Amino acid sequence: MVGLSVGEKHFIQGGIAQDLRTDGRRRLTYRPFNVETGVIPQANGSARVRLGGTDVIASVKAELGKPSPSQPDKGKVNIYVDCSPTAAPMFEGRGGEELSTELSGALQHCLLGGKSGAGAGIDLSSLVVVEGKVCWDLYIDGLVVSSDGNLLDALGAAIKAALTNTGIPKVEVAVGASGDGLPEVDISDDEYLQFDTSGVPVIVTLTKVGRHYIVDATLEEESQMSSAVSVSVSGQGRICGLIKRGGAGLDPSVILDMISVAKHVSEQLMNKLDSEISAAEAFEEES
Amino acid sequence: MRQIRGEIGAVAKADGSAFFEMGNTKVIAAVYGPREGFGKDGETHSYWSENSRVNYKVENRSQQISDQALVRCEYTMANFSTGDRMRKPKGDRRSTEISLVIRQTMEACILTHLMPRSQIDIFVQVLQADGGTRSACINAATLALADAGIPMRDLVTSCSAGYLNSTPLLDLNYVEDSAGGPDVTVGILPKLDKVTLLQMDAKLPMDIFENVMQLAIEGCKAIANYIREVFDVKACVASMVICLVLIFSTSDLYMGIFLDSGIGGHYNCSFVLCNIFVKKINRNPQKQAPSDGSTCFYGKQKWEELLISTRDES
Repeated sequence: MVGLSVGEKHFIQGGIAQDLRTDGRRRLTYRPFNVETGVIPQANGSARVRLGGTDVIASVKAELGKPSPSQPDKGKVNIYVDCSPTAAPMFEGRGGEELSTELSGALQHCLLGGKSGAGAGIDLSSLVVVEGKVCWDLYIDGLVVSSDGNLLDALGAAIKAALTNTGIPKVEVAVGASGDGLPEVDISDDEYLQFDTSGVPVIVTLTKVGRHYIVDATLEEESQMSSAVSVSVSGQGRICGLIKRGGAGLDPSVILDMISVAKHVSEQLMNKLDSEISAAEAFEEES
Repeated sequence: MRQIRGEIGAVAKADGSAFFEMGNTKVIAAVYGPREGFGKDGETHSYWSENSRVNYKVENRSQQISDQALVRCEYTMANFSTGDRMRKPKGDRRSTEISLVIRQTMEACILTHLMPRSQIDIFVQVLQADGGTRSACINAATLALADAGIPMRDLVTSCSAGYLNSTPLLDLNYVEDSAGGPDVTVGILPKLDKVTLLQMDAKLPMDIFENVMQLAIEGCKAIANYIREVFDVKACVASMVICLVLIFSTSDLYMGIFLDSGIGGHYNCSFVLCNIFVKKINRNPQKQAPSDGSTCFYGKQKWEELLISTRDES
């Protein structure tokens, strides 16, 4: 992205102050987004979300592994985001690593809950096969193909769609396995268990420009932001995670206000996302 | 040959981009350039706030060539592209080797002497790998370069062929490739009928090699025809390309006139599209800079009003 001139900066800030952004949206309107599921056939689940110019792909792969000793009744989930150099030339080589790490961390924070595994948006106990011995490891990989701002929201939506699309193969445990060794498991090729994603939250990022906040900022608008708060809200309207970025300090009352605005916006986003995901899945089944 | 599909404009932000599919192998290519071959501050991708903004310095000051463009290429595979999840998508030896191969192939056909001191970046991202990734990447890169309007001698198309069970096979997929037979990858300039890339692994007797190479060249020509068709369709559609300049204010009558040139390469289509966007007139004109680099003129009436108002003020 090339630098913005002073005139353009005033333009963006002025537009936001008057509730009319550069592309005609209001402050709390999302860009039209488009969801496709099943884009990666060899993964257990996948989705591609296009939010304006931002294009991200998420894929979910499930492998059998051993649960961690501290939580023997829970499966494991790893989230990793990669920024492809096609999104911006600066991402080539190691350039995108910093951004990737920040995004991966933010997503883990929002979707997976604390270290003890409590409060995770994804129900980890449904991933266990044999308690203490065998569990499913989910590897969620995000790829940023094209970036036009608001990567976190797009990735959150893509992960939710990918999880909805995920089918975990049914596993049959052989009876009478030895005590210490790993029990024999038979992975069925045909039967799949659909993942329950009603509890998975969506992420809403509110960007503060001047004295007002906007939702779904484009790259130019993000360059003018003073701070941003990303809130992950679940379907039941509960907050699953909160991240504040940016150097400018925020008054606590402002943060509370942003949270309530985010909750309000997330309802519409959640409904729209759910309908888009079901449409995408229906489309995928037809073809 | 497997079913191929190509699309232009996969990445909105890039100067040129394309999506290419050969069977199950899916590849996205993005081209950034030509741009300055050395950077002061370079570009800043200010996704996060100013403090954590990553300043990118184009580190090629020393590599800047004074009489031609510098072509750089990077090949990356997504984590989920192969059957088993890859741990390290960048920087491994195979990626480096393929990046080099693609760079050399594209450099041979880009007219680099027309753009001295500049830099062209080609980024190829493999979304799904099912054999023939090298060829798919080169085809995608060709489409992306043409979409970016970078002058080239000719299209470069590439295809692979092999020899299994005493039969020459065109366009191997992963299973066929791993069967242990030879794999010949050929890249040609179809109109000029010149070979720019030739790679082979495993052993093959000379006479059979000629057959296999000929088969691969035919495959390349078929792909070239397909790519030309993609561009013909795009040329008709591109004449309607509208870059909307949304110039906002709560006032003002203005005309936005902007130029958009269609795809370049040796398909020279340029269009001038006039878009008149009228809003309500206001007494106080606000001088707004348009949000992207297009020119904007005030309507004649507005100019007169402006002149009158400035005259009144002074």
